Amino acid sequence: MKGNSLLRSRYLPLLVWICGLLAVWEGVSWMLLHVVQTPLAQSKLPYVHEVAATLWKYSGTLLKEGGATFGNAGIGFLIGAAAGVLLAVLMSMSRIIERLAFPYAVASQMIPILGLAPIIYGIVRDEQVSRVIISGYITFFPVALNMLRGLRSVDLSAVELMHSYAARPWAVYWKLKLPAALPGLFSGLKIAAPLAVTGAILVELMGAQHGIGVIMLRNLYYGPSHTYMFWSTVLVGALLGIASYWIMTLAERLAAPWQPEFRPKGGDR
Amino acid sequence: MSLVAAKIPEIQLEDVEMRYQTETADVLALHQVSLDIAKGEFVSLLGPSGCGKTTLLRLMADLLTPTAGNVIVAGKSAKEARLAQKYGIVFQSPVLYDWRKVKHNITLPLELMGVKKTVREEKAHELLELVGLQGFADKYPWQLSGGMQQRVAIARALSMEPEILLMDEPFSALDEFTRERLNEELLSVWSKVQSTIVFVTHSIPESIFLSDRVFVLSPHPGRLSAVVDIPLPRPRTAEMRNSPQFFELIARIRDSFEGV
Amino acid sequence: MSSSSVQEPSYMAAAGGDGPSTSLITTKESIYSDPKKQKGRRHLTKWLNPGVLLPLAAGVIFLLLWELEMFHKLFDLKKYQLPLPSAIWEAMRENYSLLLSYTGYTLSEAVLGMLTGSACGFLIALAATAWPRWGGGSLTLVAALNAVPIVALAPIMNLWFGDGIGSRAAIVTATTMAAMAINAYKGMSAVDPLALDLMHSYAAGKPAVFRYLRIQNSLPYVFTALKINATASMIGAIVGEFFFSSRGLGYLLSNSIKVAKMPLGWSCIVLAAVAGVIFYLVVERLEKVFIKWHSSQRS
Repeated sequence: MKGNSLLRSRYLPLLVWICGLLAVWEGVSWMLLHVVQTPLAQSKLPYVHEVAATLWKYSGTLLKEGGATFGNAGIGFLIGAAAGVLLAVLMSMSRIIERLAFPYAVASQMIPILGLAPIIYGIVRDEQVSRVIISGYITFFPVALNMLRGLRSVDLSAVELMHSYAARPWAVYWKLKLPAALPGLFSGLKIAAPLAVTGAILVELMGAQHGIGVIMLRNLYYGPSHTYMFWSTVLVGALLGIASYWIMTLAERLAAPWQPEFRPKGGDR
Repeated sequence: MSLVAAKIPEIQLEDVEMRYQTETADVLALHQVSLDIAKGEFVSLLGPSGCGKTTLLRLMADLLTPTAGNVIVAGKSAKEARLAQKYGIVFQSPVLYDWRKVKHNITLPLELMGVKKTVREEKAHELLELVGLQGFADKYPWQLSGGMQQRVAIARALSMEPEILLMDEPFSALDEFTRERLNEELLSVWSKVQSTIVFVTHSIPESIFLSDRVFVLSPHPGRLSAVVDIPLPRPRTAEMRNSPQFFELIARIRDSFEGV
Repeated sequence: MSSSSVQEPSYMAAAGGDGPSTSLITTKESIYSDPKKQKGRRHLTKWLNPGVLLPLAAGVIFLLLWELEMFHKLFDLKKYQLPLPSAIWEAMRENYSLLLSYTGYTLSEAVLGMLTGSACGFLIALAATAWPRWGGGSLTLVAALNAVPIVALAPIMNLWFGDGIGSRAAIVTATTMAAMAINAYKGMSAVDPLALDLMHSYAAGKPAVFRYLRIQNSLPYVFTALKINATASMIGAIVGEFFFSSRGLGYLLSNSIKVAKMPLGWSCIVLAAVAGVIFYLVVERLEKVFIKWHSSQRS
């Protein structure tokens, strides 16, 4: 029964994909090393099992440095998200603020924000603070824009209903607009979370003492002898980005469980 | 007729006019509408789309303000009546809040008025029983059918025990069978709560089956073209829909549409 | 609301299995879909419109405060930390030929990578729609790739493709693939079931369903992805140049910071922003040309 359900589960294809990919990786790595004999073969594509072993061996260090990155990205993310929500609420309440801020919020989405990282690092010259600033800045606008979209998506009849109850403005926000905007808020948060991690790592590469980016760079400069460690740090960086996204997805399920996607049945494809 | 008119008017409209300004034109949505609705009466506003029947209802609800004329609800201006929570309103769509359980949707108005939680819970169960949804208190709106959702919306409108119930085509999105059943249920609810009901519809049989009086509206510009008394006895039963008197009334109302 | 619903598919959704999310950029459409506003903008009075005047005035005041060193006093900054707008303008004028050629270099990396990545993403979406059970897994993998920080990709791509234009194009390819794959997949699968039945009644085979229905239906989503990718590709190219490049805006930017030529660094940012906006607007323009039929394009 259990094995049967696993076979039919939607995760099976994904599992096969991952295993297949790892097998191909291992195979290509072997080919580069022994058949084609490319120079620096192990640096270009190291054996999976070697990388896994390194990951395991240095898991303590990797966890510690990854944690530093994640922590700073997280603080910046939370500050940026809070500021974004605040701006969105202000924009939804005041036409003037909206007109002032909205064009800049949209334009900021069109420019390469990450390009600011070195400049901010240049101004602040403090790795902790600049990581927080970059993560916060990157989080701010997607959250503000998506939150505003959520606030605007409120059904007109629902607002009229509140009006018919003679509800006070704060009650309209608290009981109606904020809950209704939660799905929008979470789409912003899910976009912003991996970006915040990327931003934090980027600042570390600019020159810092701690963080996954630092050991990534260090092992890259140490050359081929540290290639497994380098690849491990890349994997940890990737996992941090994916983890940040998953945390937001989980939070969404807890905070806004009424959405159509979370309903049982239907939508099973 | 004379009996009805002799009662105290609950809703009064005097020479109400409503103009809209659109980009291309100046629309006269309602022209010189005057009408009285008595306390405890069930009336329908009937007409084709564009006749301003929904606009009329929204004026009573203070969701719109007339460009001319007076709207008096429960002896006050429409706005005062709204602030005093004199009416409950039901829209065409149920407008339930997805994130609230059925019982919490029903007690939303009470929550806004600051009623205590224990009282609210009690009221929710009482109302669910009234609309025949016992056992659905802890469900979420999406777990209910369209007809059930609309019943929740009615229960919500009744939660603060309003003197007046305003209903804007509440059953028009439902299928014919569900609609007829809900018509009967609405009448049974009404017999218990004794409020004044203003019911907007574009269905002639529905308006006849439910109402004491039917206000017939015509479009371009929206105006009151006839008032038809419905002398069918109460309580109304499903069989009455097949009575000759019923068909006669349908024909009369149909005739009263000018040039339609 | 309804007119914009199709404009807001997500590019991360599949990573969570099914969560909804919105693109960074399409938010603009959904909020600007107010028809009155759009009409108003076309009028002669558009420059007197407070919607334009207000932010413009705010921008000018911001620049003035900056120029008058208000921010320096406020945050206790030195001029070498935060250069004045006039100094940045001066740096741009002095180095304009270098800046222009580097902008062209970076932009060509971005465009090249963006086209490759979008093409790959579209193919993945095709496969995932044609064979949902097994192709779907590839979507999740691509979405995971999207969560990989660009900075982690940069050294690897450098190892694989050297330090020429190919390395950055590869980075951009990797970062733009997911948005296209996921959006195009949504567009291809969000087909009206009745339209599918209609094709079925014509005895149309799988290729015909794709040719006449699914691909057409995915176009609005595809352009949403292209708009996301226009921005993402500039970011990818610039960040890629930070580390292993000897040309391009990103190289000049990080190098200027290292040697404390702040005004030059800032002028790189300005040019990158301008190039990013132009790239975005070009894609938006193409969208108008290609999908006139879609409701989001009607006024």
